[in-house]
Amino acid sequence: MKTNLPIIYKQNKGMKQLGVLLMVLLLLTAVYSCDDFTAINMPISELNQSDVFEQKNTAEAAMTDIYAKIRDNGMLTGKTTGISKEMGLYADELTFWRANTEASAFFYTNTLQPANTRLPEWWNAAYSAIYSANAVAEGVKASTKLLQADSNQLAGEALFVRALMHFYLLQLYGPIPYITTTNYQVNTKVSRKTEKEVYLKIIEDLSQAEELLSQEYPTQGRVRPNVYAVKALLARVYLYNGNWAEAAEKAAAVLNNTSLYSWEEDLDLVFLKESSTAIWQLIPGTGTQNTDEAFTFIFTAGPPPSISLSKELMHSFETGDVRKEKWTKAITDGSSTWYHAYKYKKPGTSTPSSEYAVVLRLAEMYLIRAEARAQQSELINAKEDLNKIRTRAGLPPTTAQTKNEILTAILKERRVEFFTEYGSRFMDLKRNAQLDAQLQNVKPAWNTTDQLLPVPQSELQLNPNLAPQNPGY
Amino acid sequence: MNKYLLFRGWASYVLPSLLYFLVLFCVPNSFAQSVPVSGTVYDAQGALPGVNVSVKNTTTATFTDGNGAFQITATPEDTLVFSSVGYVTFTTKVGLQKTLKIIMQPDETTLEEVLVNAGYYKVKDKERTGSIAKITAKDIENQPVTNVLGTMQGRMAGVNITQTTGVPGGGFEIQIRGLNSLRKDGNRPLYIIDGVPYSSEPTGFGVTSTIMPSYTSPLNNINPSDVESIEVLKDADATAIYGSRGANGVVLVTTKKGKKGKTQFKAHFSLGAAKVGKFMKMMNTSQYLAMRKEAFANDGYTEFPADAYDVNGTWDPSRYTNWQKELLGGTAQTTNAGVSVSGGSDNTQFLISSNHSKETTVFPGDFAYVKNNLRVSLNNQSKDQRFRLSFTAGYTAQNNNQPSTDLSTEAWKIAPNAPALYDSQGNLNWENNTFENPLRNLNGKSISATQDLVANTTISYQLLPQLELKSNLGYTDLKHSESSTFPSTIYNPAYGVGSDQSSIFFSTSARQSWIVEPQINWQIANGDFKTALLLGSTFQQQKNHLNATAGYGYTNDSMIYNPAAANDLSIMGFEESVYKYQSYFTRLNVSHKERYILNLTARRDGSSRFGDGKRFAWFGAVGAAWIFSQEKLLDESKILSFGKLRGSYGTTGNDQIGNYQFLNTYTPANAFYQGIIGLQPTRLYNASFGWETNKKLEVALETGFLKDRIFLTSAWYRNRSSDQLVGIPLPGTTGFPSVQSNLPATVENRGIELTLHTRNIETARFTWNTTVNFSKAKNELRSFPNLENSTYSNQYVIGQPLNIVKVYHYTGIDPATGIYTFEDVNGDGTITAPEDQTYTKDLNPSFFGGISNQLKYKNWQLDLHFQFVKQQNYDTPKMLATPGTFSNLEVGAMQQWQQEGDRGSTQAYTSGVNGAAVNAFYNYIASDAVITDASFIRLKNVALGYDFPEKWSKQVKCRATIEAQNLLTFTSFKGPDPEFQSVGYLPPLRVITAGLQFNF
Repeated sequence: MKTNLPIIYKQNKGMKQLGVLLMVLLLLTAVYSCDDFTAINMPISELNQSDVFEQKNTAEAAMTDIYAKIRDNGMLTGKTTGISKEMGLYADELTFWRANTEASAFFYTNTLQPANTRLPEWWNAAYSAIYSANAVAEGVKASTKLLQADSNQLAGEALFVRALMHFYLLQLYGPIPYITTTNYQVNTKVSRKTEKEVYLKIIEDLSQAEELLSQEYPTQGRVRPNVYAVKALLARVYLYNGNWAEAAEKAAAVLNNTSLYSWEEDLDLVFLKESSTAIWQLIPGTGTQNTDEAFTFIFTAGPPPSISLSKELMHSFETGDVRKEKWTKAITDGSSTWYHAYKYKKPGTSTPSSEYAVVLRLAEMYLIRAEARAQQSELINAKEDLNKIRTRAGLPPTTAQTKNEILTAILKERRVEFFTEYGSRFMDLKRNAQLDAQLQNVKPAWNTTDQLLPVPQSELQLNPNLAPQNPGY
Repeated sequence: MNKYLLFRGWASYVLPSLLYFLVLFCVPNSFAQSVPVSGTVYDAQGALPGVNVSVKNTTTATFTDGNGAFQITATPEDTLVFSSVGYVTFTTKVGLQKTLKIIMQPDETTLEEVLVNAGYYKVKDKERTGSIAKITAKDIENQPVTNVLGTMQGRMAGVNITQTTGVPGGGFEIQIRGLNSLRKDGNRPLYIIDGVPYSSEPTGFGVTSTIMPSYTSPLNNINPSDVESIEVLKDADATAIYGSRGANGVVLVTTKKGKKGKTQFKAHFSLGAAKVGKFMKMMNTSQYLAMRKEAFANDGYTEFPADAYDVNGTWDPSRYTNWQKELLGGTAQTTNAGVSVSGGSDNTQFLISSNHSKETTVFPGDFAYVKNNLRVSLNNQSKDQRFRLSFTAGYTAQNNNQPSTDLSTEAWKIAPNAPALYDSQGNLNWENNTFENPLRNLNGKSISATQDLVANTTISYQLLPQLELKSNLGYTDLKHSESSTFPSTIYNPAYGVGSDQSSIFFSTSARQSWIVEPQINWQIANGDFKTALLLGSTFQQQKNHLNATAGYGYTNDSMIYNPAAANDLSIMGFEESVYKYQSYFTRLNVSHKERYILNLTARRDGSSRFGDGKRFAWFGAVGAAWIFSQEKLLDESKILSFGKLRGSYGTTGNDQIGNYQFLNTYTPANAFYQGIIGLQPTRLYNASFGWETNKKLEVALETGFLKDRIFLTSAWYRNRSSDQLVGIPLPGTTGFPSVQSNLPATVENRGIELTLHTRNIETARFTWNTTVNFSKAKNELRSFPNLENSTYSNQYVIGQPLNIVKVYHYTGIDPATGIYTFEDVNGDGTITAPEDQTYTKDLNPSFFGGISNQLKYKNWQLDLHFQFVKQQNYDTPKMLATPGTFSNLEVGAMQQWQQEGDRGSTQAYTSGVNGAAVNAFYNYIASDAVITDASFIRLKNVALGYDFPEKWSKQVKCRATIEAQNLLTFTSFKGPDPEFQSVGYLPPLRVITAGLQFNF
């Protein structure tokens, strides 16, 4: 031990011991098993998919997050990127005041490109919500611990959301794939269904949801759907699909529940969170926020910095229409006057929140039933429903007599009742085949093929089964 | 035959030696009678410290001390070997000499003894079997840049670096031998700083860092003047020892270490100015208004619409502002100052350095990027040289304060007659709501602060003369916080937005990692054979933490940074993740007669990023070299001074896919509904992905002529990666943009790389050296089974590069309508994507390189570095906006079609309502018409230095420098910068600095 090392190593026994220690350490680490070391625990920021649906509160959080996403992104958001604004510009509801370099400008000029960023934004957000809804439906079905009632409620909501998203996609993009599974291998290669087929699928989903959901709203307020929200949407879908009797029946079912939904004569109360005419609302993110719609539409000085209500829309209000006074607001710089939508009046915060975005409301049920009745030549009943709306607006009963006159009057009424609400004007013109007639004169670049938006270009590139592109793009 | 011998040699030495290792304490070593020998080593300048003095064929060794003196024990028969980097190795027989005076000659053929860092081991440049590119402090110090990646641009064959933004603190893209992965962020190399892997994953959170086009570079945390060398490992031989992480190459950063000798102080200080190098030539007011009027006339307007403020008289038609000059024309000031102290004794050396740099921006307003760092390096050897400890630690604090939006795009597009930025009271001018004032963006700020510690300790112990135990211990700790603010003042007051709608997004992220790498090094020389064996293992763990919060609504914008003042706070993102990594690696190097060299590496890796049963994989490589100039036939050659043929083949991998990708989970979403935070599906579930492999092949020839005055390295390589780990893009109908999976495609990168180093003139007063590097690379998708049915069917073409773009083919302007036309490939009468987007354009550089010249005359030194790239890129000027709309354009747009029969280069103007024209414009910018030659030759760096004569001051050495970056660019490209690929962001700036260095 003393002499067996080279001369220059002779000193420093302490150092040698250190070296041996190092070697021992080295060997110790080397025998550490690989598997033990690289196996990791579940991250604390995530929850196993199967665990989510074994508890009511986590399963509900998975469901309500879909509503939050619908509120914040995609077609139905009240933000400046939603269809309330963009499709308002696209049709004849809004005038655009910004240099035309942003996505909205192409909606206003009807010169949309398949690569416009808004198109995949809406498309992807809708299918993302559909995926999440399918995941909830599959999750609660596989769940072993959820109570049947909770499971039914969530499954019904999931079907409602799935139908709702497909409904709006259908309005904008025409024939679309109908997604009913979370399996990406299936969903990658889907092809488009005809409009008729999509309507049937929507009706099927809503009819199933109708059986699953209860009459009561599951939680406080009207921000998660009950069975009447489903019926209200179903009434609209039947109307769009030309099923007049069913449309009238579903609308009546909602209207007849007067304990839950009572007619509100005061126009100022329609968009408040307590509104008795609200069938389904989206609650803002926090207890002090109000709607994004208010922020999107309101401006305080002219010329308008971004958008204003169009001349055409303002002219379509009959003299004495209180809605013009209550639901729009004039802004003037002394020489010129512009109007903004004023249905939602609180762009900022308040304690507590006072306005929620209303997606489905009672006025639509009257007008759906009016239209469905008129189509079935129940003219007197149709006029009665129409006049319900007119009376509240301070207008005299309609003078329309014939079926066609009444239908025209209803369409006109819808324009001033539902302006800047979720592209309603565009869809009404479209389903009545009046887009060309109404828009050609006010929109210089309007083309017949503009009745469908282009399918996002990225989507066609990723899934050739979606070809061909919609005509005109 | 050779191989057989090598292996037999290997076996006959390894086995006995292992036995030797086991019975280490029992077997005695016998030595001849020794006597002490002492002496002093000098070079032309005086005593030379730090020279390695060893007794040949033994392990007895020591170093000269600060006075060049040494003492060693040897027998009279022994030969002493004196070696030091940069000097010719000197040998002398001891004989009867007791005190020696040795004069070392500077090594002219530097290659001989230059050591190259290959990560786990060092190798003599001469004897290396792998492909390693290197730059050293002398290349780095001359360049006035704050990111070391910037100093590598154009200086290394096969390494393509582009700067992504001219905003200080921004990022760089680096590609080593091309794009291997289909994933954009799967092409990052592995960064190792002083032996510690440094994660290149982005920190922060999207919406909280809005100013940068891409992730910030991890190498921002290194102060370039602290760097001793950067080595880039490229081929299989060099990278396979990094196994699963070597697929995209490895960047090794080695920082400066203390040297023994008297304590030295160094200080440097420089001041500089940076400006945008080139503006686009935009229309002036009269040109612009003429375009607008023509556009409205074309569209049939008889009076201008109310919102056409530029042309309808709302704005002054005689006003003119050069908006690029106004918004981007500022001068950014750069300041850089640092001090370092180094020195040490025989056994302990130290270096402490500290640096401060500050760079303001070209945007109007008070914005700056500040970086401070401190670095400590300590080395200790026991007196017997057996125990060694080396410690380095660097701490960097970066603070970056920038506007939340880059102003470049607006600077191009704003109408030249747009109104003044400020009104007479000095407030932002909104011109009665008709002007979206670009300076509104400056009210929102993007602020980030990063603190970063990288520490490394290496302990080694020479257990036996041949056997060294070593452990590398590393630790990194990164803290990053950033915020982007959107105060109500960024909106036109007409929106009626108050501070109750102001918002801030802020995030804090932290990343800690540790690494332990125990290693055994065994080296033996016996006769003509030299064998080195390395066995080691790696344990690494990294923890990431992220917390992103949004604050909404304030009673006053001034409190926006105080979360307690927000009406609402919501957590937008939270992440806590762990990454664990383990591997065993080995390297066996055998050389015979210093002529035939075989290098084998193997590694078994496990990563926590893969699911059960997929976690482990083998990687390995074979490298070989033949130094043929040492063969008898060529040994005496006067012309050929060095010749080596080397080659390698092996596999590497890649696990840059993020953590937990194989789990099926839900994550808390960032939004509330009914006061409850939502849960969202985290990702599409696919647990069956595994390791990808990257097979690399290289053959290279290294030749030196005329005593290596001309030295040429030529390499050919071919890398093939397969089973790539990618987020396979999915259509939106799946609910997600992608799913993690192995892609059954094979991608090939092949190319040639040439590096030529010449010492053109060498006299006592004047020297001139030149280095040229040249890379020509080809990227190709070799195979992709079932491509036509995959989501990539419209993106990739077999036989073509990965970053092709598919475009329409532009066929000119229709002489009748004045609108752009394109080839209708499928003949259906309309131009649609993807059916008609069938032409492909390759955006890879077809070749690139650099030429560096260094000239020294007496006390003067001049460095000139040119970078050249042959490539195509998007022609920004043509893509700004539909000609005729409310947006300024480059002057080229004035060759417009006006009437039937015209053949202009720009289509008929439209105010935006001519649907066909707008459509055609968007097809145009998706066509081959906007992809143009963007080749360039750039005088990347000029550095002029002057050493003040020593007679001025004996104590203090002083050097003055003037340095410039991006000084001149020769290109036909009309956009802001041909190098640059992030359209709409500030291009790299032209920087000129003047500095002083003191050394005493």
